Amino acid sequence: MSDAIESAAFDTAERERRADTFGMWVFIGSEAMLFGAVLLLFFAARFHYSAAFAAASKHRALTLGTLNTAVLITSSFFMALAHFHCSARRWRATTWSLAATALLGLVFLVIKGSEYAMEFHEGIAPVLGAPFAFDGPHPEQAQLFFALYFAMTGLHALHLICGMAVICWLLAFWRRTPVANRMRRVPAVGLYWHFVDIVWVFLFPALYLINR
Amino acid sequence: MTELGKLALAYLGLLLLLALTVASSLVDLDGFNTPINLAIAAAKAAIIALVFMHLVRAGALSRLAVAAVAIWLAILFGLTLAGL
Repeated sequence: MSDAIESAAFDTAERERRADTFGMWVFIGSEAMLFGAVLLLFFAARFHYSAAFAAASKHRALTLGTLNTAVLITSSFFMALAHFHCSARRWRATTWSLAATALLGLVFLVIKGSEYAMEFHEGIAPVLGAPFAFDGPHPEQAQLFFALYFAMTGLHALHLICGMAVICWLLAFWRRTPVANRMRRVPAVGLYWHFVDIVWVFLFPALYLINR
Repeated sequence: MTELGKLALAYLGLLLLLALTVASSLVDLDGFNTPINLAIAAAKAAIIALVFMHLVRAGALSRLAVAAVAIWLAILFGLTLAGL
């Protein structure tokens, strides 16, 4: 059954598999341009306002940020395990690994959410009309740091939520999904999940570690 | 090495690099902190791409897509940072 073709556009299952992978990489490429542009904006602003950005960066909760990085890396490991088990057609192990991946995504969001709550409480969240107060040097430049911080982590969280939604959808219809489709979809959602992990790998040092 | 062994090794490597990058940020390396943090981030991204995303055994088409991203990002970052 694993050589069944889902779309009429392809002659062979191998061609469809290659097209799936290529399509995912092109999609990831467009996402990389989006996150690349935002990161570049951050680094350009940091170049001009290095003192204010360093002071603002000290307000990040390093412990929570480090913990979250470990959580996301672990989720990626479970996603890689899901792909590994799926290739060997161990379906029970595949679904458990997928569920663990989505659950760790949720843990990440809860930790991130508690950080957001602390920042709103401290008054250093210049988003959604919340009051902003910063008692370091150049508060207007620090405000730009926090605005970029919320934009970047918010965009990343949105991508994580999309990944979790796709995993939940995959699990919800798992029993009705033919083997050939399982073996195409698990690697595809895996590529996306690992990419979102890579984005965080760059966001973490940029937002939490600069000039501590 | 088995496939599972490779995945586990990559995972351990990622955690080790995370510990390294956090530890390096706690000491003042006189201007080298940011380059070191970014180099470690690049190393982590490479491990994820090569092992978890199977770029090692990906076909020519996937490599072409990755190369295109690298070229466009290089133009984006190169021209912008050159003008700072």
